[in-house]
Amino acid sequence: MATNSLHSLHRHLTNLLHHSDSTATAIPLFSSTSFPKPTAATSSLSLSTTTAFSSITSTTPSTSQPAAPSTSLDLLRRHLEARDYRQADDETRRLLIALAGEPAVARGYVFFSEVQFIPTPDIRAVDELWKEHSEGRFGYSVQKKIWKKKAKMDFTNFFIKVGWMKKLQDSEVEQYNYRAFPGEFIWELNEDTPEGHLPLTNALRGTQLLNSVLNHPAFEGDADGDESDDDLVEQGRKRIGGGDEESGNKVFKTDYSF
Amino acid sequence: MASLLSSSFITPPAKSDQLSQKHYFLHSFLHKKTNPSSTSKSALKFKCSAIGNGLFTQTTQEVRRIVPEENSNLPTVKIVYVVLEAQYQSSLSAAVQSLNRDPSKFASFEVVGYLVEELRDPDNYEAFCKDLEDANIFIGSLIFVEELALKVKAAVEKERERMDAVLVFPSMPEVMRLNKLGSFSMSQLGQSKSPFFQLFKRKKQGAGFADSMLKLVRTLPKVLKYLPSDKAQDARLYILSLQFWLGGSPDNLQNFVKMISGSYVPALKGTKVEYSDPVLFLDTGIWHPLAPCMYDDVKEYLNWYDTRRDTNEKLKSGNAPIVGLVLQRSHIVTGDEGHYVAVIMEMEARGAKVIPIFAGGLDFSGPVEKYFVDPFTKKPMVNSVVSLTGFALVGGPARQDHPRAVEALMKLDVPYMVAVPLVFQTTEEWLNSTLGLHPIQVALQVALPELDGGMEPIVFAGRDPRTGKSHALHKRVEQLCIRAIRWGELKRKSKAEKKLAITVFSFPPDKGNVGTAAYLNVFSSIFSVLSDLKKDGYNVEGLPETSEALIEEILHDKEAQFSSPNLNVVYKMGVREYQELTPYATALEENWGKPPGNLNSDGENLLVYGKQYGNVFIGVQPTFGYEGDPMRLLFSKSASPHHGFAAYYSFVEKVFKADAVLHFGTHGSLEFMPGKQVGMSDACFPDSLIGNIPNIYYYAANNPSEATIAKRRSYANTISYLTPPAENAGLYKGLKQLGELISSYQSLKDTGRGPQIVSTIISTARQCNLDKDVDLPDEAAEISANERDLVVGKVYSKIMEIESRLLPCGLHVVGEPPSAMEAVATLVNIAALDRPEEGITSLPSILAQTVGREMEDVYRGSDKGILKDVELLRQITDTSRGAVSAFVERTTNSKGQVVDVSNKLSSILGFGINEPWIQYLSNTKFYRADREKLRILFQFLGDCLKLVVADNELGSLKQALEGKFVEPGPGGDPIRNPKVLPTGKNIHALDPQSIPTEAAMQSAKVVVERLIERQKIDNGGNYPETVALVLWGTDNIKTYGESLGQVLWMIGVRPVADTFGRVNRVEPVSLEELGRPRIDVVVNCSGVFRDLFINQMNLLDRAVKMVAELDEPVEMNYVRKHALEQSKTLGIDIREAATRIFSNASGSYSSNINLAVENSTWNDEKQLQDMYLSRKSFAFDSDAPGAGMMEKKKVFEMALSTADATFQNLDSSEISLTDVSHYFDSDPTNLVQSLRKDGKKPSAYIADTTTANAQVRTLSETVRLDARTKLLNPKWYEGMMSSGYEGVREIEKRLTNTVGWSATSGQVDNWVYEEANTTFIQDEEMMNRLMNMNPNSFRKLVQTFLEANGRGYWETTEENIEKLKQLYSEVEDKIEGVDR
Repeated sequence: MATNSLHSLHRHLTNLLHHSDSTATAIPLFSSTSFPKPTAATSSLSLSTTTAFSSITSTTPSTSQPAAPSTSLDLLRRHLEARDYRQADDETRRLLIALAGEPAVARGYVFFSEVQFIPTPDIRAVDELWKEHSEGRFGYSVQKKIWKKKAKMDFTNFFIKVGWMKKLQDSEVEQYNYRAFPGEFIWELNEDTPEGHLPLTNALRGTQLLNSVLNHPAFEGDADGDESDDDLVEQGRKRIGGGDEESGNKVFKTDYSF
Repeated sequence: MASLLSSSFITPPAKSDQLSQKHYFLHSFLHKKTNPSSTSKSALKFKCSAIGNGLFTQTTQEVRRIVPEENSNLPTVKIVYVVLEAQYQSSLSAAVQSLNRDPSKFASFEVVGYLVEELRDPDNYEAFCKDLEDANIFIGSLIFVEELALKVKAAVEKERERMDAVLVFPSMPEVMRLNKLGSFSMSQLGQSKSPFFQLFKRKKQGAGFADSMLKLVRTLPKVLKYLPSDKAQDARLYILSLQFWLGGSPDNLQNFVKMISGSYVPALKGTKVEYSDPVLFLDTGIWHPLAPCMYDDVKEYLNWYDTRRDTNEKLKSGNAPIVGLVLQRSHIVTGDEGHYVAVIMEMEARGAKVIPIFAGGLDFSGPVEKYFVDPFTKKPMVNSVVSLTGFALVGGPARQDHPRAVEALMKLDVPYMVAVPLVFQTTEEWLNSTLGLHPIQVALQVALPELDGGMEPIVFAGRDPRTGKSHALHKRVEQLCIRAIRWGELKRKSKAEKKLAITVFSFPPDKGNVGTAAYLNVFSSIFSVLSDLKKDGYNVEGLPETSEALIEEILHDKEAQFSSPNLNVVYKMGVREYQELTPYATALEENWGKPPGNLNSDGENLLVYGKQYGNVFIGVQPTFGYEGDPMRLLFSKSASPHHGFAAYYSFVEKVFKADAVLHFGTHGSLEFMPGKQVGMSDACFPDSLIGNIPNIYYYAANNPSEATIAKRRSYANTISYLTPPAENAGLYKGLKQLGELISSYQSLKDTGRGPQIVSTIISTARQCNLDKDVDLPDEAAEISANERDLVVGKVYSKIMEIESRLLPCGLHVVGEPPSAMEAVATLVNIAALDRPEEGITSLPSILAQTVGREMEDVYRGSDKGILKDVELLRQITDTSRGAVSAFVERTTNSKGQVVDVSNKLSSILGFGINEPWIQYLSNTKFYRADREKLRILFQFLGDCLKLVVADNELGSLKQALEGKFVEPGPGGDPIRNPKVLPTGKNIHALDPQSIPTEAAMQSAKVVVERLIERQKIDNGGNYPETVALVLWGTDNIKTYGESLGQVLWMIGVRPVADTFGRVNRVEPVSLEELGRPRIDVVVNCSGVFRDLFINQMNLLDRAVKMVAELDEPVEMNYVRKHALEQSKTLGIDIREAATRIFSNASGSYSSNINLAVENSTWNDEKQLQDMYLSRKSFAFDSDAPGAGMMEKKKVFEMALSTADATFQNLDSSEISLTDVSHYFDSDPTNLVQSLRKDGKKPSAYIADTTTANAQVRTLSETVRLDARTKLLNPKWYEGMMSSGYEGVREIEKRLTNTVGWSATSGQVDNWVYEEANTTFIQDEEMMNRLMNMNPNSFRKLVQTFLEANGRGYWETTEENIEKLKQLYSEVEDKIEGVDR
């Protein structure tokens, strides 16, 4: 019975991942009122992609199982260089899942305890790219500083500080609600774009994932104002360089739900 | 795909406009600093809590509409669905989108979905009907809200014939009958004899219904497959549909849509539509997002858990706490489980292992036992359990089975919490609502789980308006998880290391009041609890030897003033530390300025009062802080807690680090702090204050309504305690003399001494001030023998009434059950009620029958003063007491304690002639009483006696402290409902939708008719046009909605229950049947009633509006008459004019008149009336229920100005008018007078249904009766004084409350004050006793006398006043420590 349900659930899951891009896109990261969906380039993600997932366990009935998705940073770099933060944000999420390991890829989101499997150089490299292309205002390490110092490690404070929550207008008391994804987020680096606004980590499943990311050894000491280690970053770039970005792109729907 | 979505996802443009234009009614409960002019009343800006259409939810079907692209030549299939479960939305949308994308598709699909709640909106409903007009397929699921079910039925019925298929999954039978699939139909549901329909017929058995449906789903297809006929084929497809639906995944739903359209849509006839069989998931099992599969065995699951690579050592160790989670299967299969994953991550991140179980049916009791209890050791495998479903354990939204749930939870024996995901509202709607959670969700997902013993209704998941998906509310998830783990910790920690913070109250803030709690001797109880805990192994180092010493140590210096820091200070908290420990401190500054402020502060530090003994801290909860501030009392809807208040809880949680807080007795202020009514958010103060400390709360068993507030708003496990044993008031002084005179009159009346005795009786009655209660002839007047009998009979009846009043004597001490003889009066009253439903005849009825009378006639005769009936009633009463005493004596030991009732009982019941009551009765005139009836009655009384003396209060506290499950039980009046006993249960209220019951309606009619009868006598034979009355929460819980029923009967409507017995509808009673005009009402609901019964307020408002719109002559329909006038005067429509259901603004309680009176901080009555008007003029509007309470002062005033009578109900024998401040707090008598154009004072009535002989008395009669039985009665005040310190306070409280009645109603006679002064002040010995026992309360007593005189309520001699003034300065000096 258990195995039976495993198969079916897995199938259902895979299916969700494949064919429900649209629903997935509609899942707001920070849910709230409806906003017209921007005509983001995400729609280029093919619907008819053939299965590209590795199985969760060996008991899974195998369809075709191509290699693990790409962990190349090239695409992220390109988006950032183009200052296309919207795409870069999607790509960052995709990378995080890919870096967290196969089960995360199959599931479509990272479970908080999988963050430890993300190699320090890799996540640091992602962070460096963000910082590099945002005048030091975006990136996990930036967020870590805000979280630790300005928000006193309180996530509501943090969300307000980085502009992921908005103040409710009709509320009798001061209250904040999550911003709706993607329309209510700021995809440009302006004067008034809050520091640490990007990349997004969704609160749909609470704050433990973000907590783990911010507490990743890669960002240890970041809140103390340490200089980042260029060598390490360089190494990371080398290590995860290359790879087939196309397939990586195809595998991932823009799922904001991790 | 994107185009599909983006095109249909455009928000109706109106929305943002609506946001800004529509009503702005509720003003903020915090003063807006930015708007300093807002303190002037007219300038108050009212802001609305709801937007748009005033309904609970503003979402519409349009976000769920999927329209296929135009350019295809394929046939279109249109599907319309209505569901309760928003989780189906994303799954169904995904399924349909894939179908539309499929290149080899055979049809285009258009789909639109409605969430049940959205159909309340007329526009949405219209759209729904329109959508149905060209729909091919209708799907419905879990439609259990009657109002909406009927709407669905009406709309679908019209199109049913035309539609190709109608599929309804578990719902109310009315909707189920719509099912149609080819030849398969359920229109005969409930009537057909076929086994298939029998299944649905058994729906009455509740949860079993859904489960047998599931069973059918599993077994039937196998059978049906082999049946060739078309009929079987259709039935088979229905079953398959249900399987697809319950399978819920987009895949399953895709195949479901394929199957139904391929088989039933005519345009697709001939097209071969292939579909796969449904993929079945486990019905119940264990699910974890990381697990490779679902598990059916907990051991297998834990084995997998141990192999997890991602977890740390701490989580893997055998020492990690384990929390059981209960999940809904549909969320997992539809992939809408983000909120579940959030809880699992949060728990694991905090070091707790989780066992998340799910079930597809509505009965979780089986899975809970199967997966959480170790099959071999029978011990729980978890430390605590959190249900994330929001539903009762058994029955979901259908019919619940609480006994079964309680049984399973008792076996499990761990703390059990039921958290709530938003269902009917979106996140933003909930955040913006002052009500908080949607009332229907409160009824289904808060009130019902409470009956299972569920705690902590924390809203942990929001709902996204576009996708319908649930998402975590991160702070709420955190709060929930920490609290669940901390409850579990209680199971894991040793007794010696557990830290307990006992919190006592001080109302009003005065040193004489520390440790107040209704009916409870707080310090003796604490002492008793701590002595016991010490024996049990808790660390209570340094506990003094006696409770007096304990009081001494906490008060430190009893004679010092409270406001000086002379209570024992246990901790000084610096401002910086306070701010660090209290993240919400800045939110308090708007009301109280920068910390430390001047409350609980020495100017530099915040002070925590109390004392620590080992691991136990006893602390004094700070008060609201605005008691002495008339401006705040008048204008603030409610104020935030002050810094000292917050500091207290920060200390308990973060400095003392309590494992649990024990709030000691009824009641404190924590749970009444501002915030949403139910379903707190991060910004609600009760939630912030209690933080993460498990809360255990000793609460009086007779106050289930406020206990429920504590449960919902401060997450308390409320453990009931018994109110002190009641005694009969008895007679004293002149009243006793009267009793003796009457008895000699009866024996001597025919000897010629009759007239002389009567004249003595008359003069004595005058001395006793009975002249206002009984029409006494002139002493000298010659009156006939018959008239003499009547006068004596009336006086007799009056003093019998006084004599037999029940009063709780002294104060209860936890852990000290009443002695047997103390239980007698309670048992006599239990025995006095007929209980036809249990086949029990009351003792008075049995006795009356032996002399050929019916008890009801005896009561009537006695009320009229017919001497022989009064005498018979007295004999019956005496004999009842004698028989019950004889019975109780036989069950006691030499010490007078009840022992071993059960054994004694069975031996007693075995031998007919030996039955003590038979022995007793054999010597009375009632010796022929029916033995069988007596046996049944006394068997019942024996059971009750067992329960009265059972002592579970300490036991339950210890269970709670050890992290065990505390058995839930109803609160209420033990006399009416002995199920309240034994105390020591986790008190709950009732299913709010179950009232008023049929029996309550019957009693209500009697009271209404008596009230009208009485008013006609006092009002020149005219009907009252309007009655202003009060609805209390506790009253309606105890009586199952009697006073609610009274309102309905006054306006002439009756409640109609649905198939499940829930009352959500009313219908008018015809004028012929009613036989009188419909009487208008102004209903003032207490804040507690509003919180508990918002659905009933909705029902009442609908009833009033319906009556106002009836086409009837105005002289027969006063509601309509007044509404028409008001609509004209105010220029509003008649529905709005017919606004009659008022209460406080959301999150605020009481008119604050009680606080003003208790603190003597008011200038004149006008000020009190203004307070009443400004705080109580918030109306509930059934046309815009989501808007919450809206201020409608004008209509309120106009409605009140038509009132001819004011009216309240007494809810139990032990609480009367002057016992508590809330009765006068809500009395509008003087206010009505000031509003009436003719300036006439309305009549004021009090109904008393607490005894078998229900009465409607005038307010002044009741005040007199109360004064005679309590304040002036030696039995009562001596009983109080035996409790010492607390007792003096109780006496003072009665006097203060009496002044309250003078202030709000002017119905207190001068002699009441005069006699009180004679009793407590002129009697030197008494005066000295009072002064020495509790000087602070004595000072307040003296001050209250002076105030009564100063305000003109008491005229007395100069000497008396001089004496009081002198006493006041004497006691001042004593308190200040100045010795002369």
